[in-house]
Amino acid sequence: MRVVASPTAAASGEGSAPLPPSAQARLALALAAGKAAETASRFLRAGGGTSFPGTVARWIDPHILRKVAAASDAGKVVVTGSNGKTTTCRMLAALAQASGLAVTQNRSGSNLLQGVISAAVRGADLRGRMDAQLLLLEVDEATVRQVNPAVRPDTFLVTNIFRDQLDRFGELYSMAKGIEDVIEALPASATVVLNGDDPLVASLAPAARARRLYFGVQADSAGLPEPEHAADTIRCVRCQHPLSYRAVYLSHLGDYWCPECHSARPALDVAVTEVRSSPEAGSTITVQTPQGAFPLDVPLAGLHNVYNAAAALSCAIALALPRPLEPAGARAALARLRPAFGRLEEIQAGDRRVVLAFVKNPTSYNATMREVLQRPGRKHVLAAHSNTVVDGEDFAWLWDVDLEQLVPQLASLTVSGTRAEEVMLRFKYAGAEPGSTLVIHDRAAALRAALTRTPPGESLYIFAGYTPMRELRSIMQRHAWVPPFWEE
Amino acid sequence: MTAAPMTVRICYLYPRLLSVAGDRGNLFALMQRCAWRGIRYSVTEADAGVVPDFAEADLILLHGGQDREMTAAAQDLAAKSGPLREAIESDAVVLAVCAGYQLLGRYYAPPEGPPIHGLGVLDVVTEGGPKRFIGHVAVHCDLSPGRQHQLAGFENHSGRTYLGGNVRPLGRVLAGSGNNGEDGTEGARYREVYATYLHGPVLPKNPWLADHLLSRALAHRYQDVSPLAPLTDRAEVQAHGAALRLARRPAGRWRAAAAAVSRIGPPARMPATRPDRGASTTDKATGWTSR
Repeated sequence: MRVVASPTAAASGEGSAPLPPSAQARLALALAAGKAAETASRFLRAGGGTSFPGTVARWIDPHILRKVAAASDAGKVVVTGSNGKTTTCRMLAALAQASGLAVTQNRSGSNLLQGVISAAVRGADLRGRMDAQLLLLEVDEATVRQVNPAVRPDTFLVTNIFRDQLDRFGELYSMAKGIEDVIEALPASATVVLNGDDPLVASLAPAARARRLYFGVQADSAGLPEPEHAADTIRCVRCQHPLSYRAVYLSHLGDYWCPECHSARPALDVAVTEVRSSPEAGSTITVQTPQGAFPLDVPLAGLHNVYNAAAALSCAIALALPRPLEPAGARAALARLRPAFGRLEEIQAGDRRVVLAFVKNPTSYNATMREVLQRPGRKHVLAAHSNTVVDGEDFAWLWDVDLEQLVPQLASLTVSGTRAEEVMLRFKYAGAEPGSTLVIHDRAAALRAALTRTPPGESLYIFAGYTPMRELRSIMQRHAWVPPFWEE
Repeated sequence: MTAAPMTVRICYLYPRLLSVAGDRGNLFALMQRCAWRGIRYSVTEADAGVVPDFAEADLILLHGGQDREMTAAAQDLAAKSGPLREAIESDAVVLAVCAGYQLLGRYYAPPEGPPIHGLGVLDVVTEGGPKRFIGHVAVHCDLSPGRQHQLAGFENHSGRTYLGGNVRPLGRVLAGSGNNGEDGTEGARYREVYATYLHGPVLPKNPWLADHLLSRALAHRYQDVSPLAPLTDRAEVQAHGAALRLARRPAGRWRAAAAAVSRIGPPARMPATRPDRGASTTDKATGWTSR
């Protein structure tokens, strides 16, 4: 088992070959320009500089990420998958920090190449050296093909694969194939951490050299009777026969087996064996690990966050972090965690409350909606989606969300974003009354209207795609209701 | 108007297997547009292994899926082929989308692996292509004389479909790629079969097509059907307009123009024979190799 490099080793840059002077100069220039861009974009309040510095730095030095990663002896973790990347990274960072490690990460969920490079620019000095002992990167499923060869992670986590932006990735399987190639390129010294409950993820790259670590859930009380509509991979990856489930936990995640070829879920290295949850306070779980079983509090509600905690803990085990695996260390580290921005984030907006939920695919929408529906009373809702490079162009997936469950509980509905008409149409066919729904493209005006429709003392629930969520949040930030997301 | 309420019998094929891009919205559109008019409907779901009574179906839905699911559906469809073909020949209405469209054709030859044989009820063939057509689409449709409409939606396919002599296109591409990115056609029609590459899903934001299918389905069952009662389609019209505007942005028009330029040569033809499967047509976009 590897141990993460000590701070002195990282600071002195041992083990990395010096760059030729011209390459070093170009790197220094790129880092300086990137840092200047970051300062400028913060000064201009242009979004906290989570991707612009990377754009600038990469323009000057296309190899910047490779150079910075190679110069550092820090432990390197790359996290990819459809859902849960941001929250899992926050959990893992908390566990690492509890072990006394400094962490450099792209904390704001800016997970395309520019965002990853921006994190490296921020974490490195002008010579390209990082102080941090852990480089923790969440990376978009299509971008891992570019990031992994440059970063060469020692631990690579695939959280799950759900249908997410098929217009960008083509088909689900082609995206899985890209991730599979990345796993096959990992050296034997690396660890790949896989969601054993996801049939597609568990079957990735069976012949890869890297050590495999499977996490999952093995708790009867948390199961659903059968896969919900939006479930994706419900056929056997090997023989195409429909899979049978002993238990379904979330969408297509569960304890599955194939009646035809008898392949089944792999043995779990990290298994959540008990889940006791409450809608407001999150879950108390028992986790079985190679180091024994222990209880853990996950302060974020929903079974998806139980999966995120199991994934983070598995990475901590793969990295051989010392303290978090002492039960008290992990408990304390996770208990302090607050939702990542936009993950059912509770915001006091004057005399009203806002619950901000970032939704990007049927699974995340359904899971988030289920959490919201457990709260009492009828709901004031603002739903917003926009077509952007990040959010994609195709919103057909909204029709795979079970909005029919939300509509009977609506007190008021406001829709917004550049695709407001599409959102309106979806809600109309889910049974919402078009006459009482407001369609307001402008995000600020929509937020104002939706808050006006929410009586004082009550909550406004916002379901929004990534870009409108960021826009709505920055509007609330201007009202000083929330801190800037880069200070989270 | 007949005194007894009318019923549309909808047969929803492969609700689990072929359901990848929100296409169940087409079912929701048909159900709601019946309900709002007081027309009764029934929905029979038939997944793999179940052969529904196609003779009882007025309107059959067959949607999209990925290559793997499509292969499984093709194998199962073979068991349903006789009665389904009979229903189509007796003018049951069919909406087929994307992979469902390809499955009604003669074959789909994916970039890797053996060709997938379809029902062959549509005189079309589909070849896997080197790049996916992904984007918003606008199509000019002329379903019956004097009734011209624009169809709006989103396409995401690597298959190139070529029409034979016994089918008509569903429409002409105004923006986007359509059947093959070459000949300007989109979709196919045969009897009461309406096949298209458009997701979106297509029926909610093209209520005129949803209503056309419903009235044809009613005509399939009842003599002497009066026109459908009009509905307040404000949300639908706005979503339709927004989707058309997206398709007509420069990028979409550029793709249609590029296709028009390529049309200056001889017209795109159906390949005479199935291509040699040993030939290397690698498709990076869909290249999940079967192992």
